[in-house]
Amino acid sequence: MRSGLLRGKRALALVPLALLLAGCGQKQNALAPASHQSSDIASLFWWMTGVAFLGLAVVVALLLLAWRRAGRRGAGGDTQGPKPGERVGWYVVVLGGVVVPILLISALFVIANLFVIKTTEAPAANSTKRTILVIGHQWWWEVRYPGTSAVTANEIHIPVRTPIRLEVRTSDVIHSFWVPELNRKIDTLPGTTNEIELYADAVGRYRGDCAEYCGLQHAHMGIWVYADPPATFARWLARQSRPAAAPSGSLAAAGRAAFLNGACAACHQIRGTSASSGVGPDLTHVADRKTLAALTIPNTPSYLHDWIRDSQRFKPGNQMPSFGQLSERRIRAITAYLEQLK
Amino acid sequence: MERLEVMWQSRPGVLGWLMTTDHKRIGLLYFWTTLVLFGAGGVEALLMRTQLVKPNNSIVSPETYDQLFTLHGLTMIFFFIIPMTTGAFGNYLIPLMIGARDMAFPRMNALSYWIFLASAIFLYTSLALGMAPDAGWFDYVPLANKTFSPGHNIDFYALAVIFNSIASTLTAGQFIVTIFKSRAPGMSFNRMPLFCFAFLAASFGLLFALPPLSADNIFLFLDRNIGTHFFDPSHGGAALLWQHLFWIFGHPEVYILIVPAFGIATSIIPAFTQRKLVAFPLVAIAELLVVFIGFGVWAHHMFATGMSTTALIFFAGATSMVVIPSTIQVFAWCMSFVLGVARFKTPLLFIAGFIFMFVTGGLTGIMFVAIPFDQQVTDTYFIIAHFHYIIFGAAVFPIFGGMYYWFPKVTGKLYFERPGQISFWLIFAGTNLLFFPMHIVGLLGMPRRVYTYPSNLGWTTYNVIETIGGYLTLVGILVLFGNLVWSYFRAPAAGPDPWHGPTLEWTTSSPPPEYDFAVIPKVSSAYPNWDPEDREEDRRKLAGGVLVLDQGHEQVEVTPVDGWLSRVAEMPHESPWPVLLALCLSLVFVMLLLQHFAIAGLMAILCVLTLLGWHGKEPEE
Amino acid sequence: MSGYVASSVERPSKPAAWWGMVILIASEATLFGAFIGTYFYLRFRAPKWPPDGIPEPRVVVPLILLAALLASSIPMQLASNAARAGRLAATRHFLVLALILQAGYFAYEVHDFSDQLKTFDISRDAYSSIYYVLLGADHAHVALGILFSLWLLWKLTRGLTTYRVHATQGIAWYWHAVNALTLVVILTLLSAAIG
Ligand code: HEA
Ligand code: HEA
Ligand code: HEC
Ligand code: CUA
Ligand SMILES: [Cu+2]
Repeated sequence: MRSGLLRGKRALALVPLALLLAGCGQKQNALAPASHQSSDIASLFWWMTGVAFLGLAVVVALLLLAWRRAGRRGAGGDTQGPKPGERVGWYVVVLGGVVVPILLISALFVIANLFVIKTTEAPAANSTKRTILVIGHQWWWEVRYPGTSAVTANEIHIPVRTPIRLEVRTSDVIHSFWVPELNRKIDTLPGTTNEIELYADAVGRYRGDCAEYCGLQHAHMGIWVYADPPATFARWLARQSRPAAAPSGSLAAAGRAAFLNGACAACHQIRGTSASSGVGPDLTHVADRKTLAALTIPNTPSYLHDWIRDSQRFKPGNQMPSFGQLSERRIRAITAYLEQLK
Repeated sequence: MERLEVMWQSRPGVLGWLMTTDHKRIGLLYFWTTLVLFGAGGVEALLMRTQLVKPNNSIVSPETYDQLFTLHGLTMIFFFIIPMTTGAFGNYLIPLMIGARDMAFPRMNALSYWIFLASAIFLYTSLALGMAPDAGWFDYVPLANKTFSPGHNIDFYALAVIFNSIASTLTAGQFIVTIFKSRAPGMSFNRMPLFCFAFLAASFGLLFALPPLSADNIFLFLDRNIGTHFFDPSHGGAALLWQHLFWIFGHPEVYILIVPAFGIATSIIPAFTQRKLVAFPLVAIAELLVVFIGFGVWAHHMFATGMSTTALIFFAGATSMVVIPSTIQVFAWCMSFVLGVARFKTPLLFIAGFIFMFVTGGLTGIMFVAIPFDQQVTDTYFIIAHFHYIIFGAAVFPIFGGMYYWFPKVTGKLYFERPGQISFWLIFAGTNLLFFPMHIVGLLGMPRRVYTYPSNLGWTTYNVIETIGGYLTLVGILVLFGNLVWSYFRAPAAGPDPWHGPTLEWTTSSPPPEYDFAVIPKVSSAYPNWDPEDREEDRRKLAGGVLVLDQGHEQVEVTPVDGWLSRVAEMPHESPWPVLLALCLSLVFVMLLLQHFAIAGLMAILCVLTLLGWHGKEPEE
Repeated sequence: MSGYVASSVERPSKPAAWWGMVILIASEATLFGAFIGTYFYLRFRAPKWPPDGIPEPRVVVPLILLAALLASSIPMQLASNAARAGRLAATRHFLVLALILQAGYFAYEVHDFSDQLKTFDISRDAYSSIYYVLLGADHAHVALGILFSLWLLWKLTRGLTTYRVHATQGIAWYWHAVNALTLVVILTLLSAAIG
């Protein structure tokens, strides 16, 4: 049952819908599975859609039949006395409205909720080699690797073809962790820890979004999951676990000072320095990330600079104030410093 | 006859409308009010669609967008469909269909309208003040807590919803009693039109679904304003409590939205196929059953919250059962189309369209029975597609069809057929363009409630199509109303029964007189207007003065099940108290909003005093 | 009713007003159902109920009070019967008797309520929140019942009419329902002492 009872049986895949859905960039596509979980769900979808179209076709056929027969007899004939064809009507109603749906839905129920559900179920504690902790914040994701000191944000790395147990929590409101190509979604509830399995068939980068409405910037709460070859992953994790490197060059050193003595340290952590707040994302290895602010903007020096100066422009309402009042020199210096935090 | 005219005459002018207790006038008041609110909800929707027409658009700010979708959802559900179906259609038609002269409690009926109107004004005041609710129509905590929503937005939500549900509860209770007690003698339960079964089901649904919602909102209001901890896990509360109570209301609610539409469909189908509905008893039972089972499925809205698998499977099981009453009805309707002689006039076209849309949306609904699939698509546009197909296609289409169908009854004029059909096809094309791509874009990963989206995820084209569909729908709706307005002024007179309709409303003149029926009609089947001998007998009774009840403001009461005549009751007439009471109640809510709890208490005492006045004058004997 | 000539047999049945009262009670009962559901939902998630620092509810006094309240249903019903039989004086006497019981109960409960608020207030935790809301909502219904009775008594000073007979019956019904609700509410709250 495990990986893909339903796989390979997409004969029913509907041509029109399939055409519409194919080749669409495959960015965050529930029908472009990259794990056995997601693939089972996708097969389930195609099967259901196939049967659903048949059901719809039956109904449309009946309506068209009525249309064809409309001119049959003079109107008004059937309003009194016996009801013509009532018996046939009852047969169809009982067969189409009771018997067939019960059979079909029972089949669906058993397949989906007794079998497929097993593959998507959360793994038991300690059943996997690694657990990752994801904490939702308004409006970004904190990512921790228990057992190491690695902390990062919005970009999760996992080893490919290795089941990972993901624990999700929230620091404020309800969010929902969702990377459709890998698995179904799971909400983050206050006061509770929820779990889900993360597994990727192939090396690659998979996009996800916060799926539960969580306030102003719910639209900008993306997440990337990188499935790396195990060795690459191990190196990445080792690098992430290290504290930040000392700045090289006077500009970066000035940036470090500005960061630690200014407002930044009130919200951000850079391991290995005195900045240790958890309000905003951990910036120890911020330069290692490809994007800023939960996939809102690319992580390039100029975007980083602009983000610090005016974060509210990119993500209006986000919890980091714009720092337009800082001098251009300082922002440059801080940017230079952060750029070195590989 | 003249005596009846005198006894039932209502005061002319505005005062007459303010004090009216006539179910037809109240129905019309509901109709116009909800229509305006539909316009508001539609404008909000089109603003959203305009914002989403391209990626990274900035026509509206995120704050505004959040208020738009929340208000859109609230308006469409609480202030359009429910009051339009129950308030407008139900009020106008139920007494006419059961052969009564008014509702069982006419003043309470007026009260429910005025409370509804006040709650709508209350909610929209928040928009004018820029403080409209912004946490979504299901308003999850903790986002809706004081910590994360410090403004008054959510207080408006909680109070408006409670306020509005008072009106709906009154309407629901009213319908139940009216249907039980005020039917024409002879109309036993099994001879009741399916329309009334449907409204009975919806009313029971409202009666039992609204209290959990009120409880939930009372908790929310207290959490926000006096520091209780119902939803606060750090003090022993639970965020999921909100969701449970909300959806214990919320799921029955969606059937409450649809069941009256079933009722409208089952009125139109026999009239336009000239055949009694296939499998009548099954359909009647199904209408009641769908609401009943609907109370046991709520957690299918919470599949991704991490509840235990056992609980999920239980609720998925219940959800698969709730489907059966719907499939029964779909096939009964379709077979009636086939076995009768379908005249595809505008009303029937809307019903055919409704069946198509309902089946499409229902089939995606069934897909959610597959828990893993639901967990994959929940909170995406796939859900938006599911319920707009069902809500727009299956609840609004019959409303439109019903507007055409009963237009001759209410106005006494026919409507123009050609533009009617055009409006149908425009709306049909528009809604499918609008809502079908939402399935795809949802599968492509687009979450709901996002004020904008990135350009590189392949969502843009679908969103453009959706927006075009939205505007096409608007054009269709404008043609529809334009046609009706035009018909009102220009179309030929309709006469009492232009369709040879099956039910009692077609036996009286168009528009019906204030006393509805000159004589309490005789009923011996569920299709009384197709029983010519009974109508003949009515005429004889009228001539002989039997059951004319012209000695006062009188109406019969019957035994609830068999419809045996039980007594003749004197009904209250025009009254100023309903408006006044609604006004006092509004003051209570305003004071609660402003957190002047003591003054709110005083206002509540004012309400009690008003009630004293209301009951001051006893009916004469 | 002269224009009315019986064409069919008349069967007695409950008047519409009675049904109206049933509907009102059903809706109120559902509201309380939601409250009580909440109570147990919170309770079964709590490690300790009532939480540390909150005294367990006392059992004896509330039960005695409850008995007094339930007893008031008897004079209420007698009043209703008397009204139907057209005995004005008896109606009034029974009503006054019921009112005394009701008011006694209510006065003590209100006193107790404000007393308890001093030991643990409503914003302490989820237990106190649902405790006071449930109890307060119930008291509000008792208060409403008392208002009804007062109003009725006032009406009855000017004799008995059909309308007033119906009102007496309706209010008796309401009162029985409130008593039933109170019974469930008090037992629910007391269950914290045994669990
Ligand atoms: C009018 C309103 C209405 C109606 C009638 C329905 C009908 C149904 N709904 Fe829907 N639903 C909503 C309005 C409605 N829904 C709304 C508003 C939401 C979202 C709320 C929000 O999140 O904001 C929602 C969300 C929703 C969810 C939660 C999704 C999620 O958020 O994750 C689910 C899950 O089970 C669901 C299921 C169903 C089912 C099984 C039906 C069934 O009753 C459908 C039955 C009908 C049919 C089955 C059609 C008949 C078909 C045939 C005759 C063909 C033959 C059939 C077979 C072979 C099976 N609905
Ligand atoms: C009855 C229910 C109903 C109806 C009819 C509609 C109708 C429409 N809805 Fe929907 N919608 C909801 C109920 C409904 N909706 C709900 C419950 C939500 C969830 C909200 C939430 O997430 O909290 C939602 C969410 C929702 C979204 C998702 C927002 C998001 O998640 O970000 C979108 C986006 O496109 C949308 C669009 C539309 C559109 C374009 C229409 C169009 O079909 C509207 C067309 C109507 C008009 C154009 C009005 C025309 C009327 C007149 C002109 C009247 C004239 C009057 C006089 C002359 C007096 N709706
Ligand atoms: C009030 C708290 C606060 C202060 C002060 C603050 N930040 Fe932030 N910062 C945040 C939050 C919250 C985010 C996440 C924003 C989001 O994505 O919604 C963030 C995000 C960032 C990011 C992007 C991180 C990523 O991986 O996406 C950078 C870089 C950053 N801040 C740098 C700074 C610098 C430099 C300063 C000082 C000039 C600063 N911050 C001051 C709260 C703060
Ligand atoms: Cu976080 Cu939406
Ligand atoms: Cu539902």
